[in-house]
Amino acid sequence: MSSEPLLRLENVGKRFGGLTVLDQLSFSVHGGEIVGLVGPNGSGKTTTINVISGVHQADVGRVIFEGHEIQRLPSFRIAHRGINRSFQVPKCFREMSVRENVEVAATFANRGEVEIDGILEQVGLTSQADIQAGSLTVNQQKMLDLGRALATNPRILLVDEIGAGLNPAELGGIASLLTSLAARGIALIVVEHLLDFLNRITNRVIVLGAGRLLFEGPLKEASQDPEVVAAFIGG
Amino acid sequence: MALLEYAIIGGILYGIFFSLVAIGLNLIFGVMRIINLAHGQFVMLGGFGAYLVTSSLGLNPIFGVPLAVLGGIAIGYPLYYGVVPRLQRSRDPEMLSFILFFGVAQMIEAVMTLLFGVDERSLPGEALGSGNFGVLGQQFPDSWWVAVAVSLLCIGGLWLYFSRTRLGYATRAIIANREEALATGINVNRVSAIAFIIGLSLAGIAGVFVPYLVGSISPSDGSDLTTTSFAIIIIGSLGNPLGTVVGGLVFGVGTMLMQTFYPSWSNLVPYVLLVLIVLVRPSGLLGKAVRNA
Repeated sequence: MSSEPLLRLENVGKRFGGLTVLDQLSFSVHGGEIVGLVGPNGSGKTTTINVISGVHQADVGRVIFEGHEIQRLPSFRIAHRGINRSFQVPKCFREMSVRENVEVAATFANRGEVEIDGILEQVGLTSQADIQAGSLTVNQQKMLDLGRALATNPRILLVDEIGAGLNPAELGGIASLLTSLAARGIALIVVEHLLDFLNRITNRVIVLGAGRLLFEGPLKEASQDPEVVAAFIGG
Repeated sequence: MALLEYAIIGGILYGIFFSLVAIGLNLIFGVMRIINLAHGQFVMLGGFGAYLVTSSLGLNPIFGVPLAVLGGIAIGYPLYYGVVPRLQRSRDPEMLSFILFFGVAQMIEAVMTLLFGVDERSLPGEALGSGNFGVLGQQFPDSWWVAVAVSLLCIGGLWLYFSRTRLGYATRAIIANREEALATGINVNRVSAIAFIIGLSLAGIAGVFVPYLVGSISPSDGSDLTTTSFAIIIIGSLGNPLGTVVGGLVFGVGTMLMQTFYPSWSNLVPYVLLVLIVLVRPSGLLGKAVRNA
């Protein structure tokens, strides 16, 4: 792991109308690291991913990637820089084939040569390559969404609740895949409610509560933090 | 039997032409999820462009085609960047676009009425050929065949754009899922602007031939052309530009059958087909497109 962070959030704030969704959020992520992002519903996890990936723009604060501020860039430019994400509800090009879905990403991300077959194999969709993406199961669409993100050759991959609805074997496969991506130097921020799954793949989690950073450190220590306990069970 | 043959062959020709009339509306809806209620007015502008080319410059009305493309660029580029990104940041872009483009339609119609008056204008019939051309013993004016040839060229060109070009590939991706397209690194705004310009240009090109297929053009024709275009794209498949051709053919054959056998009822055809399709197959004859409107 390099000493310079790949991504740094500095005092990022985001409001929707009168609701503060992110409040002075600061953290950093290094290349090759898998960071878990946890918190109760509405704590700002997905908004954090949306702000990093450019779907939403931060109202205040800075998002710095490889030394450059990116918080005002549109999401397609952020994808060109090497940040990509999967969606909580998978969004694929339903009328295109599985292979075309991955090819579109490889074509427009401008991130160099990508081996389409290799990506399809990584996400377990080799035998479905030529069928329409809309006919895949939801879990397969999640894998396709991940494959689409991988086809952009990302330096940072933001993974939003990929584990929901997967069986233990599928979760094991995802854990191996994410770990292998980190071993290649890709930084991962993984939003997840499945704490066992996070415990297997992360050394560090960031716990959010009402848009604020409540805790940063190993997952096992988070459960002993009074602020985290209060955020999850009230108090 | 000869009448039936005439109605069906004429309906196919009429339908191919009306596919061109409507296809721009479907392209803009498919890519941007906005409803261009001024679509018929842009068709009408194409008709008046051809009228000016003929009456003021003394040229063949076919020169209205490149003029329509230039007009599509000149109007489409500022109109897109002036309104569409703002519409898409709103909470309900479809409804807001409905209202906004209704205003644009009224403005275009008012300006054209001030400039040209309310009179119907026609184009010299012989300009696109003074004879008839027959298929299976049924004769249709040369101008119809020219209109159909241009329509097929435009629709074929659009198909090639979608299937063979990088921009077309990006356009298909945006039609399929706008958010996913952004995440893949597609400059959705730029690709949408190009689609908007293409949509308006196709409308203008269709307008050049409206005086030949319909008989004349006037500033007030825009609303009817918008309604007919709506019916065609909903019959085919809303959001699926190439599905417009299916809608156009159903509309064309239906209209010509009615004009041939029950002429006083023929104006009802688009509305009856529209209601039937919405009741029986709301996603259109081609089926799977997203129906958000």
